[in-house]
Amino acid sequence: MQEQPTQPETQAHRRVTPPAARGGPLMWLMGGALAACLVLVLGLIGLIVVRGSQTFWPKAIERVEMVAVEGGEPEVLLGRLMETDVYRPDRDERARIEALNAQGLLPQSVDPDEPLERILLQVGNREFGAAAFRWVPLYEVASRSRPENTVVLERLEWGPFIGSVDALVFDRWLPEDEALFDERPASTDIGEGVATREVRFVGGERRVLERVTVPLVGEEGFRAFEREVRSAKDRRRVIERLERGERSEVDRRIGALNMRVRRAELEREETVSDDSSMPFWLWGGTTIASIGLLFAGVRLRRSTTDPDHPGRVKPGGFLASLMIGVSLAGLFFGAVDHPWSGPSMSEERLESIRAEHASEVERLIERGEEIDARLSELRRDDARFRVIVTDARTGRFAPEEVGRPGEPMRLSQIDRAVRSNALDFSGRLGVYFDRWAQFLTDRPRPDGEGGLLSVIVGTVTLTMLLTITVVPLGVIAAIYLREYAHQGFITSVLRIAVNNLAGVPSIVYGVFGLGFFCYIVGGYIDTGPDAPAARTPWWALVGALVLAASLAITLMGAGRRIPGRPSSRAASACRIGAGLLWVAAVALVFYLVAATPYFGGFFRAEVSAGQPVFGARGILWASLTLSLLTLPVVIVATEEAIAAVPRSIREASLGCGASKWQTIRRVVLPGALPGIMTGAILAIARGAGEVAPLMLVGAVKLAPQLPVSTEFPFIHGERSFMHLGFHIYDLGFQSRDSEAAQPLVWTTTLLLIAIVLLLNLAAIVLRSRLRSRKGPAV
Amino acid sequence: MTGTATPRITRPSNGADEPELGVIEAIRAGHEVRSVIHEQVTEGDAVLNIEAFSLYYGQAQALHSVTAPVRRGKVTAISGPSGCGKSTLLRSVNRLNDLIDSVRIEGDMLLNGESIYHPRVDVISLRKRLGMVFQKPNPFPMSIFENVVYPLRIDGEKRRSVLEEACERSLKGAAIWDEVKDRLKESALGLSGGQQQRLCIARAIVADPEVLLLDEPCSALDPVATLRIEELIHEISERYTVLIVTHNMQQAARVSDFTAFMYLGRLVEYGPTDEVFQRPRLGETEQYVTGRFG
Ligand SMILES: Nc1ncnc2c1ncn2[C@@H]1O[C@H](COP(=O)(O)OP(=O)(O)OP(=O)(O)O)[C@@H](O)[C@H]1O
Ligand SMILES: [Mg+2]
Repeated sequence: MQEQPTQPETQAHRRVTPPAARGGPLMWLMGGALAACLVLVLGLIGLIVVRGSQTFWPKAIERVEMVAVEGGEPEVLLGRLMETDVYRPDRDERARIEALNAQGLLPQSVDPDEPLERILLQVGNREFGAAAFRWVPLYEVASRSRPENTVVLERLEWGPFIGSVDALVFDRWLPEDEALFDERPASTDIGEGVATREVRFVGGERRVLERVTVPLVGEEGFRAFEREVRSAKDRRRVIERLERGERSEVDRRIGALNMRVRRAELEREETVSDDSSMPFWLWGGTTIASIGLLFAGVRLRRSTTDPDHPGRVKPGGFLASLMIGVSLAGLFFGAVDHPWSGPSMSEERLESIRAEHASEVERLIERGEEIDARLSELRRDDARFRVIVTDARTGRFAPEEVGRPGEPMRLSQIDRAVRSNALDFSGRLGVYFDRWAQFLTDRPRPDGEGGLLSVIVGTVTLTMLLTITVVPLGVIAAIYLREYAHQGFITSVLRIAVNNLAGVPSIVYGVFGLGFFCYIVGGYIDTGPDAPAARTPWWALVGALVLAASLAITLMGAGRRIPGRPSSRAASACRIGAGLLWVAAVALVFYLVAATPYFGGFFRAEVSAGQPVFGARGILWASLTLSLLTLPVVIVATEEAIAAVPRSIREASLGCGASKWQTIRRVVLPGALPGIMTGAILAIARGAGEVAPLMLVGAVKLAPQLPVSTEFPFIHGERSFMHLGFHIYDLGFQSRDSEAAQPLVWTTTLLLIAIVLLLNLAAIVLRSRLRSRKGPAV
Repeated sequence: MTGTATPRITRPSNGADEPELGVIEAIRAGHEVRSVIHEQVTEGDAVLNIEAFSLYYGQAQALHSVTAPVRRGKVTAISGPSGCGKSTLLRSVNRLNDLIDSVRIEGDMLLNGESIYHPRVDVISLRKRLGMVFQKPNPFPMSIFENVVYPLRIDGEKRRSVLEEACERSLKGAAIWDEVKDRLKESALGLSGGQQQRLCIARAIVADPEVLLLDEPCSALDPVATLRIEELIHEISERYTVLIVTHNMQQAARVSDFTAFMYLGRLVEYGPTDEVFQRPRLGETEQYVTGRFG
C-alpha cells in the first residue's frame, strides 16, 4: 500500500505487535505437551491391547533337543513357544559357554561376548517336577522341530500338559468271578486294542477291572480322541450341574432350617427372661392422648403463625411445636412399646418347630444321600474313560492324580485339547475365539484359571450400585449446598471440606468402610445395638429430642430471613441457635437409633451360628465405601454445573411465576444435566478402577456365589464378590506362578479397561441424548 | 444527605416562560427533590401504586423514595439515562430483587391495593399476576413450544389442546407465529435475537397477566420488528396495563399514554406523554426528550 504523504501520522500507524503477542513458541509448547500426553496414554493402552489380545492365540509347540552336556543323555523339551529374546549372558554363563566351547560340545562355537538368542518355553507338566517355564539359550539347542502329533491339554487342575496323545483307555467293571487274563487283543468301535484284566477293591468289594487300551494312530486317531474329550465334557457338565444345583440346594435348605430353629430358640430365651410387659391402660391412654394432642397442636400452630415480626420468639408457636413433637413421640411409643410387643415363643411352639424341623431335615438328608449316590455312580462311570498322554522329557504318561502315577488321566479332566502345530489359520482362530468365549462366560476355577464371569458380574454390579447410590446423593447435596443453603461461612467451610475429601487416600476409605459399614452398621443390622439403653432413660432422651426440635423450629421461624429487610442481630442469633439445636437433635437421633432397646437385629441366629450376614464384608458395603470415595467428584461437578446455568434464565422462570423448586427442576437441572453426567462419568471411572478399599470391604479371591441372582431381592448386598481390579492384583502378585499368570494379567486388564470404557460410553451416549432433547419431561 | 429539600414551586403549565433549571444540580448535590407529577396521572384508577419506595444495593442507594401511581389499562413509559434505576424499579414490582442478598428496601408497592412487600405475601402468586420481559432475551433451552407454554406448565396444565391453543394465540400476539409455526419443536436457542425477544414476549403474555413489565424490549430489534412490537403493545394495552422501560424517546412518544422521567434513582417528572413531550414542566425533561441532555 502506497502511503499518502499528505496523510497525517495517526496513533493507529504507530501501533506495533510485540513478538510475544503472537504466542508462536507457546503454541508449539502446548502442542508438544498434548503430543506427549497422547503418546503416553496411547502407548499404555496400545501395550495393554496388544499384550492382552495375544494371550489366547494358540502358540506353536516346539520340540527342542538339547546338546548332551556333562556326559548325560541329551535332554528333550516340549513346550509352547512364548517368547524369543536377545540377551547378554552374565559372567557365570560366559564362563560356562567358554567351558563348553573348550570341550567342543556345542554344535558351533559361540562367542560369549556377543548378544545371544534364547527362547521361553512353557513346558507345563507340573507333576513331573520341573519348572513350568524354561528359558532355553539357542546355542545349547541341537535341533528344533514342531511335531504335528503333540498337543496341549488344558486341564482343570495342575495347569497345561504338553505331550503326545498315544492311546485311549476304556475300563469295564466285571463281577469278581470273571476270569482274569494278562493280555488279549480286543476290538472296539474306534479301533483294535489290547485288553487286560486285574483285580481291584472298590469300597471293600473285590471286583475285576477290564481295561482296553486302544493306540491312536494318525489323524483318524486324534479325531477319535477329540470326540471322546467332547463326550467326557458332557459327562462332567452333568455331574457339575447336579453338584451345584440340587446337591447344594439341599445343603442350603438344611442350613436355613437350622437357622429357623436357632431363631425360635433365641426367641424362647427372651420370652422367658422378658417380663416387662406394658399395661394395656397405659398404652391406650398414651395413644389416645397423643392423637388429641396432635390435633390441638396443629390448630394452635396455625393460629400462632405470624411472620410479620422476625426476631421475636412466640411462646404460642413454641408450645404448638412442642405439642406436636410430644404427640408424635407418644404415637411412636404406642407403635414400639405396645402390650403385645415382646417376644412370645411358648415352649409348645418351640417344640413343634423342632419336631417339624427334625422330620424335614431327615427328609432332606435322605434326599442328599440319594443325590450323593447318584453322583458317585456318575463319577465311577466317568472314570472308565481315560487317555495316555506321554511327557516328552520323562517318557511317562500324565497321571490321574499326582500321588498315583500308575493310573492314566481321566478324559474328563481335560478342558480343551489344542494340537496347535497341526492347525491352520482358521483352526487357530476358532481356538482363539473359543478361549475368549470361555474366558468371558465361565465361572472361575479355584486355581485361578477358567472364566471371569463372576468377576465381570461383580465389577458391573458394584459399579451399578455405586452409581445409583452416589449420583442421587451427590446431586441432592450439591443442590442444597448451592441453591438453598445461605451462601456464607458455613457453606464455604463445607465446600472446602468436600474438596479435601477427594484427596484422602483410598485405602483410608477402605479402613473406614470396614470399620463403619461392615462392623458398626452391618453389626447393627445383624444383632441390633451392642449395649442398648434402658427404656426409661431412652424415653427421656426422646423427650429431649422433641424439646430440641420444637425449640429449633420456633427459632427457625423467628430467625427467618425476609428479603429486602436487613436481618437483625436477634434474628441471626435465632438462626445460629436453631442450627446448633438441629445439630444436637441429629446427634440425639443417631444415639437413639444406636442404643434403642426395641431392636434386636434381623440375623441374630446366623451370628450366633458364626455366620454374620451384613456384619461382614459384602458388595453393599463396598459400593457404599466407593460412593463415599467418589462423592466429592459428583458434588463438585454438580455444583459447578448448577452455577453455570445463567442467572437470566432462572430469573425468566421465576418471573413466570415458577417456584424455586420448579425453577430448579425444570430449568436449572436440565441445564446442568450434561455437567452432572460428566461428574457421574468421572465418578464411575474412578470407582470402577479402584482396588485398595475393595480389598478391605468385600472383594475376594473366589466368591462362592454371584452377587446377583434370580431370587428375591435379586441383588444380594451381603454377599462377597469378585472384582476385576482385585483379580488383576491377585493374579499378578499373589499367584504361585507369575510367569503363567502374566499373560492373563494383561488380558484381564484389557477386559477391565473395556468394561470401564463401555460404562462410560453408555453414560456419554445418555448424556448426548439428554443434551439434544428439547423439553424436560414433566 | 446534605442540606434540606428545597421546596420547589411548580409553575402552571402554560409554557409561556423558559422552563426552570436546577433539579439536576439539586440531585447531584444530594438534596431531596420532590417529583413533578401531573394531575392527570393521579386522577384515574391506578392498578399499581408505588409508595415512597427506596432500594439499596448494599450501601449504594439505587432508588430514592419513588412515589408514582401506574394507571390501569394504560401504557406507561419509564425513561431516563443509563443506570438511573429503571430496571431496578421494574424488577422491584415482581420482587425479582429478592434474589439478590444485599438488596434492602424501604416503602412499599400496592398491586390493586394489596401490598407487594408485606412478609406474608405469596411471592409466587404475585409473580403469576405479572408478566415480565427482560432487557436481554432469555429463552429457556427448550423447544419453542415449551418456552411459550412454560407459565401454564408450571401451573399444572397438562391438556395438550389447551396448551396448543394458548401457544398459538400468544405467538400470534407477539407477531412471531408466522416465523415459527413450522418449527415449534425446535430449540428456542436457534432463533435470532429479535425472534427470541418476541418469543419472550409471547411467554410473558400467555397467562394473561394483569400488568406487563417490559424492560427495553426493543433494544435488540431491527426497526421492522420494533414496529411490530409497538403495534403489539398498542393492541395488548387494551387488555393489560403495560409498564415499559425505553431509551428511545420516539418510541415512548409513539406507544405510551404516560411517561416518567427518572434521573439518578429519582423520579423527576411524570405525566401524560403529550404533555411531557410538548409542555414539560421542567427544563431538564425538555432537554432530555429533545435529546439535548448533557
Ligand atoms: N445487582 C446489582 N448490585 C449492585 N448494584 C446494582 C445491581 N444492579 C444494578 N445496580 C446499580 O443500580 C443502578 C441502577 O441500575 P439499573 O440496572 O436499574 O439501571 P437502568 O436504568 O436499567 O440502566 P440501563 O438503561 O443501562 O439498563 C446502577 O448504578 C447499577 O450499577
Ligand atoms: Mg436496564
